[in-house]
Amino acid sequence: MKVSLIDSPVANVANIARALRTAGAEVEITSDPIAIANAQKLVLPGVGSFIAAMQWLTENGIDHAIRDAVKRGASLLGVCVGHQLLFDLSHEMGSTPGLGLVKGEVHKFGGILPVPQIGWNRVAANGPLFDGVENGVFYFVNSYAAMNAPDEIARADYGGPFTAAVQRERVFGVQFHPEKSSAAGLRVLRNFIAWM
Amino acid sequence: MDVIPSLDLLGGNVVRLLRGDFANVTTYGDPETVLDSLDVLVGSRLHIVDLEASRSGHPVETNIVRRLATRGLRIQAGGGIRSLDHARTWIDAGAEKVVIGTVAADAPEVLRTIVDDLGADRVIAAIDIRDGVVRVGGWERDAKSSLAEVLRRVEELGIGEALITDISKDGAMRGPSFALYRSLRTNLRIIASGGVSAISDVVSLGRIANVSGCVIGRALLDRRIDLAEAKARVATTNAIPERVIPCLDVRDGRVVKGVNFVDVRDAGDPVECAMRYEAEGADELVILDISATDANRATALDTVRRVSESLFIPLTVGGGVRTIEDFRALLRAGADRVAINTAALRNPQLIADCAREFGVQAVVLSCDAKRTGDHFEAMVRSGKESSGVDAVEWCRRAEELGTGEILLTSVDRDGTNSGYDIELLRAVTSVVKIGVIASGGAGNVEHFRDAIEAGGARAVLAASLFHDRKLSIGDVKQFLSSEGIPVR
Repeated sequence: MKVSLIDSPVANVANIARALRTAGAEVEITSDPIAIANAQKLVLPGVGSFIAAMQWLTENGIDHAIRDAVKRGASLLGVCVGHQLLFDLSHEMGSTPGLGLVKGEVHKFGGILPVPQIGWNRVAANGPLFDGVENGVFYFVNSYAAMNAPDEIARADYGGPFTAAVQRERVFGVQFHPEKSSAAGLRVLRNFIAWM
Repeated sequence: MDVIPSLDLLGGNVVRLLRGDFANVTTYGDPETVLDSLDVLVGSRLHIVDLEASRSGHPVETNIVRRLATRGLRIQAGGGIRSLDHARTWIDAGAEKVVIGTVAADAPEVLRTIVDDLGADRVIAAIDIRDGVVRVGGWERDAKSSLAEVLRRVEELGIGEALITDISKDGAMRGPSFALYRSLRTNLRIIASGGVSAISDVVSLGRIANVSGCVIGRALLDRRIDLAEAKARVATTNAIPERVIPCLDVRDGRVVKGVNFVDVRDAGDPVECAMRYEAEGADELVILDISATDANRATALDTVRRVSESLFIPLTVGGGVRTIEDFRALLRAGADRVAINTAALRNPQLIADCAREFGVQAVVLSCDAKRTGDHFEAMVRSGKESSGVDAVEWCRRAEELGTGEILLTSVDRDGTNSGYDIELLRAVTSVVKIGVIASGGAGNVEHFRDAIEAGGARAVLAASLFHDRKLSIGDVKQFLSSEGIPVR
């Protein structure tokens, strides 16, 4: 199964590409809006700043390309900041609109625990993305997260509950790093690749 | 897990006695002011000890209890309660429960009278222990009954809670007696008391079966523990697993292992080792390039590249990182995080610069600490040379500058298999909020537990033990899990 991995300069694309290949995908790394708009399966990675990532998408016309692809029936997986980009809005340093493909907003962790969260966290999950995941512990690096999103399919707790994954029809997002989450992460990628 | 503030009262003031000595008193002021400063919430439990009553047998601080009870605090009052009348005085003043010590251990008939009159749910049995023996009468003499007998008797009376204090730990700020609480065989809900001096102590006690609460005195008053933070940590303790991290010390592209950083021997191919470790359940991998001369840096980058290509867990790399460019090169080669050591001690700004450039999550402070007199000193050049900087203070400062985690190695213990340096770990984990990875000295599964439980480490690292297959990562995680410590 071919997966188009969006080649964002604000993402660790090589690691995700390798994990997708290990999970059985044929990976095309691209930042071409036409190729993205025509893709069947898209992965949108991202690390660091939501604002920088969103800016790169809009400046290169990739935001429209992603929306077009989803409209045509492509499935999409957002990873980490890529997951946050799927939402309506992020409150990282002011308010920045996201792609609006899933409902909800992204907020900074408000609890008393140190931010960013760096490390493994237990996730309570259901739905096809998590089929066969025996041990729902995934690796997170984040200061921001969606909280109680309407399309939530997985939840974790870091000084308060947050949304660890979402699904709205063909659009998926995971706040954790599947490419750093060992067997559980590879299983999630395999499920995304196999999902029709 | 109930986190219960404890106030010792003497002459209307909150005080502390060092190891029960009335000649060694620290005064903290009136109870209301103290409670306000601690942010004790309405509806919280509060433990009160009337020290004068514990000496004379006559309650004197009833007015204080009356005042505090009207603030909506659920008070458990104790101190020298040897009769039903005395116990009633506290209940009449508004206490929710009485804490009965000497009588519970030595006068079962009096305890029965109190339980019959007040109800078992209003009584907490207080049992003070020194070297496994129950002590009574203000810790002055041994009780007539053994610990097991006292526990059984208390349980038979229908009392639900026992407050168990390890006298040798009380007020000493060195941590509670985890082994004591783990060894108790009882259906009572145990409230641990004595020595709780770091938030990690509260978390660790909560992981021991039967322990349902802990009493904190001096550590709250001295601001070593923030109540709200302790409660938040306890609430997430089972969601966030503690990590087991194998370390590959690499020189010239080969895995080697040194004893006390000096004798070095070959232990294999880094890629093979890394893949084996991930399969065994490693939560992360650390590579330390121990040669790291300029000439060998290219080799190290190649090793990192090869390892990262076969790994699906986070990879931290350290050794010889001097500049932002070194840092960037390692991230580009596939490291998720980079550890800085000597260069940061020489130029602390490097931590802040790297945090700004790559994010706090990418920065790990590697601190090699060596005991020097009564403190620990941060060492440079692979633990060979002293920097003159206090290691604990350095870790605290590095957190401020922007490090995501601290890899704390005991130079004294490294390669000895004699256990992590718990004192060093406690000293650092009690002054920083970020995670500390314990390193240096692991020799058996108990050592890993102790580093997390008593040392407050959020991750445990070992090299030779895993290389030599004396233990597998699976063995360690299985043991930690059996001890109530969450693992992935």
